[in-house]
Amino acid sequence: MAIGQYTSDLEPGDILGPVEYTLSPFVVREYCHANELHQPFFQGRQDEIVMPPTLIHLDKLRLYKHACPKGTGPSARIHYEYDCTVHEAVKVGARLSVSGTVRERFTKRGREHIVVEMELRSADDGRLLIAYRDTVLVAFKPAGGAA
Amino acid sequence: MTISSQNIAPGTEFRTAPRPMTRERMRWYVDAQPTIAADDGRIHTQPPTIHDDDAYARSQGLPGIISDGMISTNWIQGLLCDVFGIAMVSRSSLRTKYIAPIYEDQIVIAVAKVTAVTATAGGQPSYALDVWCEDDTGKKLTVGQATLVAG
Repeated sequence: MAIGQYTSDLEPGDILGPVEYTLSPFVVREYCHANELHQPFFQGRQDEIVMPPTLIHLDKLRLYKHACPKGTGPSARIHYEYDCTVHEAVKVGARLSVSGTVRERFTKRGREHIVVEMELRSADDGRLLIAYRDTVLVAFKPAGGAA
Repeated sequence: MTISSQNIAPGTEFRTAPRPMTRERMRWYVDAQPTIAADDGRIHTQPPTIHDDDAYARSQGLPGIISDGMISTNWIQGLLCDVFGIAMVSRSSLRTKYIAPIYEDQIVIAVAKVTAVTATAGGQPSYALDVWCEDDTGKKLTVGQATLVAG
């Protein structure tokens, strides 16, 4: 169990969260602005906008902040794979609960990988809205060698 | 722009205009992270990252700053939103793998190619697509698949 340390220490079986929050229009618009997503259902009136599914990736940082308060660890993480399934559109103003489980930690071609599976649910009734599987490299440099 | 689903058949390909992955685009995503975490209506910044600080990137074994992979995923998502509208954020899946770093000013084009069109039990069209980002030489940088149900 590596909760409470660095994200680079996470081990299979570690539970992240749950963390509850309310999805704000500011968060949706800022994220979409940064990614040049200018569709009206992201940048329009508050009662019309929905969460871009990719925003789930920043929920991982929300979980990291909660579970790994010491930070990243000795090296910068490199994102390797994004895998997201949307079951239902998530509207601004929704009260949400996000949680995660560290599923795998393995070494491939000298680089350590960590796989986290996350679920974003309605905090009101537990309905599954988005499922996400995230794979990162713990560091760009292979262990014991140059990049 | 949402295209009528009647026009979409296997083999149909959609592409974004070429975009350079500028230093500014990389920094926008870097700054978005603490700004969204704070959620207080103001811009926030973070310590140097491999996406906005060359010296830090070099200290991590990289030749210079590289793009956060989520930018290319978001550009693919944006293309799918342009084509399919709000269906992309309602009942869909998107999987992307970052197979090559994207460096400063490298040209990036997001592409989606329809591989199958089927119908759900309720009669709604369901699409499967190969998606990727490539540079201006055709080299693939990010690869993946998407599915979505229209209507």
